[in-house]
Amino acid sequence: MKEYVIGKVGDIPEGKGRAFQAGRATVAVFKSNGKFYAMANRCVHKGASMCDGDLTNGGTVVRCPWHNWAFDLTTGVHCYDDSEKIRTYEVKTEGDQVILTA
Amino acid sequence: MNEQNQTGFERENAEAVTIDPINPKIRQMEVIDTDFHFTPSWKTIRSYLEEPFQSLLFHYPVGSLEYNPEPANEKPGVGQDTHGVAATAADVLKILDQFGTDTVILNPGYNRPQSIFNEPMIAAIASAHNDYLIAEVFPVSPRIKASLMICHRDPFMGAEEIRRVGHHKQFVTVYTSFSSLYEPIGNAKFDPILDAMQEFGLTLTCHSEGFFPHFTPLWNGARTWIELFGNAPIGNCMAHLAAMIVQGMFDKYPKQKVIFQEGGYWWLPDFMLRMDDFYLGSGGDIALVERKLATKESKLHKLPSQYVLDHVRFSTQPITIPKNRKHFAWMLEMCHAKDLFCFSSDWPHQTLDPANWVVENTDCIDDDFQKALLSGNARKLYNRL
Repeated sequence: MKEYVIGKVGDIPEGKGRAFQAGRATVAVFKSNGKFYAMANRCVHKGASMCDGDLTNGGTVVRCPWHNWAFDLTTGVHCYDDSEKIRTYEVKTEGDQVILTA
Repeated sequence: MNEQNQTGFERENAEAVTIDPINPKIRQMEVIDTDFHFTPSWKTIRSYLEEPFQSLLFHYPVGSLEYNPEPANEKPGVGQDTHGVAATAADVLKILDQFGTDTVILNPGYNRPQSIFNEPMIAAIASAHNDYLIAEVFPVSPRIKASLMICHRDPFMGAEEIRRVGHHKQFVTVYTSFSSLYEPIGNAKFDPILDAMQEFGLTLTCHSEGFFPHFTPLWNGARTWIELFGNAPIGNCMAHLAAMIVQGMFDKYPKQKVIFQEGGYWWLPDFMLRMDDFYLGSGGDIALVERKLATKESKLHKLPSQYVLDHVRFSTQPITIPKNRKHFAWMLEMCHAKDLFCFSSDWPHQTLDPANWVVENTDCIDDDFQKALLSGNARKLYNRL
């Protein structure tokens, strides 16, 4: 695992996702209600880019842009079936920097 | 620049990247999308309506009696058009490029007219839709083909429209829908439509549908979108296919090809075995169907399952892939997918399928199989592609 500086806090707009290449991993990072979340960018269903998904349910859920599959932002677990899960990554802030561990 | 942080992790900068969700291999292969919904604006359709319809149809005459899937999708404001609306040729070409599609067969987004109580009104809207395609869409690109829209509830009106515009080579199929009819399109009363299609070598498309007042009986007691559009089309599709076979449609029209869309297909092994078994033990009343009475035949020309292999194809969307890889391979083989399946996206609907799945299951779908799914089977199916 490595830490990656993915930008400044203001670089990622609230309520949106953005993909980052962190070594071999492509990771979708979201900013929701002022907090950062990160998960693998590829949907476990049919491979859509999760960074293009909508945040719903008060910003706690991200929905796949292709088929609307709903995943908990914090855990990556599907809201209707906990056997379906997208890998999540740690993301934190240090001062003005956003740090992703992947 | 690398740096070492206080926890001992090596630290690098990572850049934001733009991800193309379409598998790069798709962009190198020929892709024919057999089901893509095209929805011109009502203003456009109205401008092509013949009188007196143009003067009197102020708005699109179907409204509130279809179920909007927003409660199912938990997504307000988009209805069934989850991924957008393609209303012009430019819209279509932009989406084809986005998804790596070479050639598309446009199906009507305005398929609800089949639910209108007034059949001349349906026929007028179908003609306007076709005329718009001919005048403003087909000339833009040879990549765009389309289904010819008809009022299939009235076989004579349907046949008239096929003969009016069927000569146009960018119409490659005639659009009908199961579950928008109380009686299956395989019934002999629809032969005027089949007669007209023979003159042009057009493939028949049977697509899932079903709105007021032609609710399918399979909707009785339903409460959810899953029942209405996840499950009921499967039963309707089987009923239409069975009627085509045992009521002798393919015996009367031996060159006719059919593609079923959105009625599923994993049920095919059971259907084929069951139809053959019933035919061999209980086929006597086939002598009593209209087409067999006309020819004084008492039997089909071949086993029911053989008609499926010879005449019928299935568009793939929505593909459902089991996690057990052996099961997926067996399902593909048992359904004769390498010969019978044609790729479709169903853009812009909720169950949209980009073509990635075709090239990302290489343990079950090898290179030749991929080519057959993405373009080869469609080229064999549609005489005009």
